[in-house]
Amino acid sequence: MGKVHPDRLEMHKVLGGKKQKPDNTVSISRRTFLHKSIISGGVVGAATYGWWPLINTVDIAHAASNIRFAWVSDTHLYPKTLNTRFVDKAERAFKEIEAMKPDFMIFGGDLAQKGDPEELILGEQMLRAVTVPKHFIPGEHDWYLDMGKLWEKKFGGSPWSKDIKGVHFVGLNTVGQAPDYWSAKKMTPTERMGHMEALDGSVAGPWAGLGQEQLEWLDSDLRSVKKNTPIVLFTHNPLYEYYPPWNFWVRDWREVHEIVKPYSNVTNVHGHTHQVLYNEIGGMRSIGMLATSWPWPYAPEGVPKMTVPHVRVDPGDPFDGVGWSEIEYTSQKGIDTEYKMWDRDVFAKATVDAGTGDNTGLTLRSRVVDKIWQY
Amino acid sequence: MNKNSTKVWTMAAASLFVGAVLLILTGPVSAHKKNHSSSDIQAFDDAYMDVVKMGDALFHGGGPQKELGVTLTKTGMACAMCHPFASDVHPHQFPKFQEQMSEVAGLREMINWCIEKPNEGVKIGIDSEAMIALEAYIMWSHKGTVIDPGTH
Repeated sequence: MGKVHPDRLEMHKVLGGKKQKPDNTVSISRRTFLHKSIISGGVVGAATYGWWPLINTVDIAHAASNIRFAWVSDTHLYPKTLNTRFVDKAERAFKEIEAMKPDFMIFGGDLAQKGDPEELILGEQMLRAVTVPKHFIPGEHDWYLDMGKLWEKKFGGSPWSKDIKGVHFVGLNTVGQAPDYWSAKKMTPTERMGHMEALDGSVAGPWAGLGQEQLEWLDSDLRSVKKNTPIVLFTHNPLYEYYPPWNFWVRDWREVHEIVKPYSNVTNVHGHTHQVLYNEIGGMRSIGMLATSWPWPYAPEGVPKMTVPHVRVDPGDPFDGVGWSEIEYTSQKGIDTEYKMWDRDVFAKATVDAGTGDNTGLTLRSRVVDKIWQY
Repeated sequence: MNKNSTKVWTMAAASLFVGAVLLILTGPVSAHKKNHSSSDIQAFDDAYMDVVKMGDALFHGGGPQKELGVTLTKTGMACAMCHPFASDVHPHQFPKFQEQMSEVAGLREMINWCIEKPNEGVKIGIDSEAMIALEAYIMWSHKGTVIDPGTH
């Protein structure tokens, strides 16, 4: 796993060539703000200041009018009796969003940690703090205890699409189409969920994907949309191949890109990766969002070259490296994405401070316990 | 813990017992006194991999924590939640200056720091079975990574 496998990471060869780029009226700029970093600990007493990029601004020229929405995902709630840390952070995000009063909020999946009804109901209660319209897509942690039954009852089904002020928003379900890894092994629902719960597990395999039925729905849904209409695809997993061993992808990304190919202004906003990510493939750009719960490390390979990585986080500070995002469409400026990372500045300036540089070159192996036949 | 995993851990414990008996019978006294047979090498590898497997399970929030008398977390968080494939542990860089502790620390000290701080568990013995298992799994996960001590 130390080097990028040429067959596995083929997207840039297939889709990242010179033939197609996102809408040529799009430009990317990064606002800056004052970064203050104090190195503490008694041994080194120093302060460094610098101008670091904070906000990724993606300008899209065709947005008809202003729309502002907030993204929250990956709250991974445990019951309050076990852990209030994640509850506290989700509460903070919801409170801040309510104060902001955006046009709507999108919840991008993984409300619960173990898909337990107690966790999903807790999340439902907490979400009442947000009074603006809310839209939902599921994460794998919400799904595999009861195969999405309670999730859909509480938060509705997906896929869905909505036209809001000239922008076509689509919510996709990238988690509900896992190959059946449980029946032959006669797993209980808890065991099935347990394998899904471990990001680096291999038993659940390449579970992220849209599946044929949803691909056909997407194709059909977009047929009525003009080719230059701004389209936003909300997904839990990224719609490109970043790091399949952790399902930082959808397995049918080729088909997705084939469907969106005729459209010049497509933005994929996704969760699951718990980190700052930016990528462009063909006519589609992808923006990875923060989790409120905890940050994942950057994978040892496959981080898109266009990503300015976020700064390495402090594991002793539960509010570091996490947060939510404010996304604004304006007719003048297009899409502004602002990461609301708590307690720290967002982007790393030097490799030594970035999770990407830090993890590059590791030779890692997948879990050994998964290879034990327990059933 | 379900029946199957109990069975697996019983087998693992039995293997460790057999390994210990082998060690007593053939280990310290006769180590490296004669050429190793392929079955010797296999037995060594089996004993090692049993510890790695235990470390994998502990690292992912399972394993025989109760039997070992350890509490690696009180928050429900497991090591692997921040360190999938044991990434971002960087065992090849230890010992190194660890900012959180303001001192040069070894991997085992850092493991204990993570157990106590983010996981809010109870730190474990520096030479305990659980610590060696966690270290074994982390190092196994990084086999082939170039040693780079002291790097931040």
